[in-house]
Amino acid sequence: MKQKSWHLNRREFLRGSGMALALPFLESMGLAKAVAGKELPKRMVVSYFAYGAYMPDSKDGMPIADNPHHDWNWWPCKDAGPLTFNKSAAPFEPLKEYVSYLRGLDHAGGYGLGGHSSGDVFGTGANMSGDEKTNNISIDQLAAKINGHRTRYPSLVLGTEGGTGSYGFSKTLSHYGPGRPIPSMQNPQEIFNRMFQPYAGSSVEQVRARLKRDASVLDLMLEQSKSLNNRLGKADQEKMGEYLDTVRAIEKRVESTSQWTHEPLPNVDATKLNLEVPYKAAQEYIRCMYDLLYFAFQTDSTRYATLMLESEQSQSNEMWNYATYVLGYKGATHDIAHKRPIESGHWDNWRAQQHAYFLQRLRDTKEGEGNMLDRTVVLWGSAHPHGSHSTKNYPIHLAGGNTLGFKHGKLHGFEGAKKVPLANLYVSMLNAVDVPTEKFADSTGAMTNMFA
Amino acid sequence: MNYVGTSRVLISAILVASGGAAPAAIPAGGEGFTTRVAPFFKDNCIKCHGPEKSKGKMALHTLDGDLAAGRDLERWEKILKELKSGEMPPEDEKQPTDSERNALIGWIESGMRQFASKAGPANPTPTARRLTNFEYQNTMRDLLGFELKLISSLPEDPVKPYHFNNTAEFMLIGPEQMDRYLECARRAMASVIVDPGDPKVHRTAQTFPAGKKAQGNGGERGVEIGVYAGPGQGEQSIALKDWPKTGEFKIRLKASAILPPAAMEVPLRLVMGTLLRSDAGSGVYEPVGTVHLRNDPAQAREFEFRGRIENIPVEPGAITTKGRQPPRIFIYLQNIFDNGELNDHRKSAFDASWSSEAPRVLLESLEFEAPVADVWPPEHHTRILFDSPLRKSNPEAYAREVITRFATRAFRRTPKSDEVERLVQIHRIFAKDFDTLEGAMRETLAMVLISPQFLYHTVAQDGVASRQYELASKLSYFLWGSMPDDELMTLAAQGRLDDPAVIAAQVRRLLADKRSGDFVNNFTTQWLSLSKMKTVSINRDLFPRFLYLVHVGERHGTEVLFRSTIRDYMHDETVGFVAELIKRNSSVLNIVDSDFAFLNQPLAAHYGVPGVQGLELRPVPVKPEHHLGGLLTQGSVLIGNSTGSAPHPIYRAVWLREAILGEDVKPPPAEVPALSDSAGDAAAKAITIKDLLRQHRKQESCNVCHASLDPWGIPFEKYNATGKFQPMVPKAGARVRGYNEKTDKDLAGYAAYLKAINTVEVHADARVPRGPTIDGMEQLKAFLLKERKDDIGENVLRRLLSYSMGRGLTYRDSFQVEQLCSQTKKNDYRFQDMIIAICQSEVFRGRPKP
Repeated sequence: MKQKSWHLNRREFLRGSGMALALPFLESMGLAKAVAGKELPKRMVVSYFAYGAYMPDSKDGMPIADNPHHDWNWWPCKDAGPLTFNKSAAPFEPLKEYVSYLRGLDHAGGYGLGGHSSGDVFGTGANMSGDEKTNNISIDQLAAKINGHRTRYPSLVLGTEGGTGSYGFSKTLSHYGPGRPIPSMQNPQEIFNRMFQPYAGSSVEQVRARLKRDASVLDLMLEQSKSLNNRLGKADQEKMGEYLDTVRAIEKRVESTSQWTHEPLPNVDATKLNLEVPYKAAQEYIRCMYDLLYFAFQTDSTRYATLMLESEQSQSNEMWNYATYVLGYKGATHDIAHKRPIESGHWDNWRAQQHAYFLQRLRDTKEGEGNMLDRTVVLWGSAHPHGSHSTKNYPIHLAGGNTLGFKHGKLHGFEGAKKVPLANLYVSMLNAVDVPTEKFADSTGAMTNMFA
Repeated sequence: MNYVGTSRVLISAILVASGGAAPAAIPAGGEGFTTRVAPFFKDNCIKCHGPEKSKGKMALHTLDGDLAAGRDLERWEKILKELKSGEMPPEDEKQPTDSERNALIGWIESGMRQFASKAGPANPTPTARRLTNFEYQNTMRDLLGFELKLISSLPEDPVKPYHFNNTAEFMLIGPEQMDRYLECARRAMASVIVDPGDPKVHRTAQTFPAGKKAQGNGGERGVEIGVYAGPGQGEQSIALKDWPKTGEFKIRLKASAILPPAAMEVPLRLVMGTLLRSDAGSGVYEPVGTVHLRNDPAQAREFEFRGRIENIPVEPGAITTKGRQPPRIFIYLQNIFDNGELNDHRKSAFDASWSSEAPRVLLESLEFEAPVADVWPPEHHTRILFDSPLRKSNPEAYAREVITRFATRAFRRTPKSDEVERLVQIHRIFAKDFDTLEGAMRETLAMVLISPQFLYHTVAQDGVASRQYELASKLSYFLWGSMPDDELMTLAAQGRLDDPAVIAAQVRRLLADKRSGDFVNNFTTQWLSLSKMKTVSINRDLFPRFLYLVHVGERHGTEVLFRSTIRDYMHDETVGFVAELIKRNSSVLNIVDSDFAFLNQPLAAHYGVPGVQGLELRPVPVKPEHHLGGLLTQGSVLIGNSTGSAPHPIYRAVWLREAILGEDVKPPPAEVPALSDSAGDAAAKAITIKDLLRQHRKQESCNVCHASLDPWGIPFEKYNATGKFQPMVPKAGARVRGYNEKTDKDLAGYAAYLKAINTVEVHADARVPRGPTIDGMEQLKAFLLKERKDDIGENVLRRLLSYSMGRGLTYRDSFQVEQLCSQTKKNDYRFQDMIIAICQSEVFRGRPKP
């Protein structure tokens, strides 16, 4: 696609002025894309925090009807209905018409995993104690499979601890399929480079030539694998299907990367991001991750992302000490989940501040008739209610996507005799971003309440 | 009711009781099922495992009675297990008679046997799987000829407690992983093949003038290095500004030891990496080696360290007002002396009042050189790009030969001609883009390293020859976690690897090689679920001196960085102990109790064993007063199964039943509140865990499992949360205060306080299900060795077999396992012999093809 002469040259523009100042003008660039015939993007984020949140409920995690509502309860108000905000949820008050709380939802597939491991299925809903022992495809990857070709990167997988982790202690929310977790990226500099400087100094022509060569080599590699396959027994042949799939997926990617070399790379000025922020600087680091996500969306480099803000059991990581750095709490971040307010409430509030920062940034950026948050549905939650063995009644917070059909401003209560799976919400999120599926994990339908 | 201990006891008891009169046999097949088996279930089981309730997710009314058809075999296997062990029906329910029970056991077994013989050798479990990261790393090391740390750029392998991860179910490949494999392959090729021409050699040398001091008293000959107490304290650093991208490096240093009378040596560790900052803890480093200095300053000596520069983390260079500074690598020399008493002082080891009495290192000079170019090009290069006139006369034939030789090693077999042909085509594509053969070959061979033939374990269906190579790989990946060496490949080429005598000799040879250490570590860590230990956070108030904690500055109260603690040595203790049993070919029953422990000085100090010097671990004879011996009393196990504040009898019971007895313990249902929290409080509030458990068991939902679980954990109670023998505790309701620097002064002061309030003896007695009351560890060990010997032997055998084959065992294997069990039992379950028997067995080798 040729650049129109009036189209801003981002690199020069950003060099000449600060990124922050640049933002209102960037809107005209986004608009330009729409004018050029591209549809405005529909985006989705799944983000996760560990160890649950403070919600004094019954042992099985379900709310107790006659409990007085607490100022530091993670749920912003006592009863289902229009939102009011307690201390814990206060950071979201300015975003009232963009957020919803959903109570009483969870993944039945995680019940058997135990308190600290159910985070594994947050993005997948897989029945890991049943017939999906090695997990299954996650919601973002399903979306990426259908619509990923529309952007340079089908999806973005972030996590503050990086890698895949292991069973029961995932450090990623994204799964390509059974047994194939996608390692999350944790290092801001690396994320930036992969996202915005993927050619690493080579010219576009060099990159194209290399991709062409890669394609012919991959053809031969595929033949090489098939020749091995023909010599194996039936069970092993089936098993080796994963390798063939992988080579085919890479072939497809080479093809699409090659096509994308005809589009100019976006320019994001790295000096406006603190890419070398130490993990220890809790707030700056978390916000840097949110910022990278923001720029990925703002440049339409990808539309689907997961962000594991905290992983369960993070002893070997600075996250383990975040509660200490942020609140001066004497103990590991994990332990705070087992505490009563005020400690745990303050911790929840701090997390809410960071998430609200991201949501606000999206809301404050115009896009088309509305803003970026209108076109981005953001899930934020955990896989336990509070520091217990319970894996029921997750804290679930949904924001944005107003133009995609979501109606906000309420606390929805799904606790009751008839079980509503969390996966129903996932079906609705997928549908909202143009993934026409009727079923995800153990869903029983779509979450119609969210559109009413 | 009559006392029934275990399966074996049960069966023998029945045989004795029946006085030779065979129990009435149940007719085989469907007839037996309807006339005898179904009524047995109806009388004894269906109340809990039927249409009304299906406890443990087991319902018997839907079972397929035709065993030989093989449809419900998993369920039948579970039933068999419960019947044999006497676990079901529960102790407090109506029991079938022994002959009824035995008849049913016989009926199920013969039905399964019938199925197994009918089903034949065809195995429906896939065995094709990718290399585990551990195998990948080792294979690359042996293929390249040097160690390149690649594992950190691969996604972590999944781990599941008490499971081996080397199975098809766990080891999968997706696109993300392939990207990393390709990255690794290219890195490997960039290192192993060097560019033509002579290398530029980089050198940095430094001498340390007399009088300059790192810590402690001024040195007369060079710099003195006191005990390492975290970044910047007790270490000497040297910055490198100049080094090659790839290649082997050599560091030579001249040093000696200044030893106080009590010490015999001082360990000097050399690590390299980025700037280790004591405040931020943001450094990363790679250990290069440790030497133990014994020579005094009058006899200063040269010591040499070698490593690969690619493995060393580089400091990117800070951004200052002058722009980005050039990158650097730091060499650190650390005095890692540790007598296990470093913490026993007012603040810690690291306070100056004491450290001047500790051994010091005297460093005079250091020289860094890279790449090492004694032979150029290096051997690892010429092993691939060998000297040959063909290279000039017929480049394509040369390329084909290079590819064939490399693929033979990488594929662990002779490559097929079509496989070579495709690689030659790939080489042609690359050759067009590269000026040198080196460049094109790096890319081509990188493709070999992402081929499924390299990345996967497979079993081909064609030909006798490939089977022999597969056997070579089975042996080497079992006992080395790596590719076969030349000797195994030669034996495969000669077709000799089905010969039991050859197998026995090879197993002994592989186990004697130091590479077997990787197998023992990997196997033991997963078998015993040792990694749990690191995730338990130790209560620092109650155990103020167990870890090394920073006592000043911003990181106050956090662990001293990059220093091994007793907890780290505990891992080595357990792995070293198992390795020692294998080395001695001792009975595997030694895991329950042994006449030696595997210790170094810090561990010995922790357990209270006198007379052990130095950091090296070694077998040490144990006496009754040490309360050691076997695995059950090792810190790795006791800490991993504690709360960090208090012992956790349930975790310990689960560990004992899973890891030692080989039983399957169900995880608690999701709704059950955690006991761990209340147990954690118990340490501070001194509520006995026995009372807590009693409360827990009162709930009907908990009782079903806990009644048969808790008793196994209670006898461990005299070992505290840090794995120390501690028979006395505070009386109920007492509050225990933490260490106080001011009033306690030092560890001895706090110990005196604890002794004063620890006035009640721990109760460690419980009646095990269907067994006697067991009081404490000694009785537990004695009971296990008397009554559960064969279960323990079978468990270790099953673990080894499952690990060796890279798949879980199923009912199809049960008769082979039985055979192996009786074979190894005759030989007292000797460890090495057990491994040999496994490698000789048909289940491991696979049935020879006709």
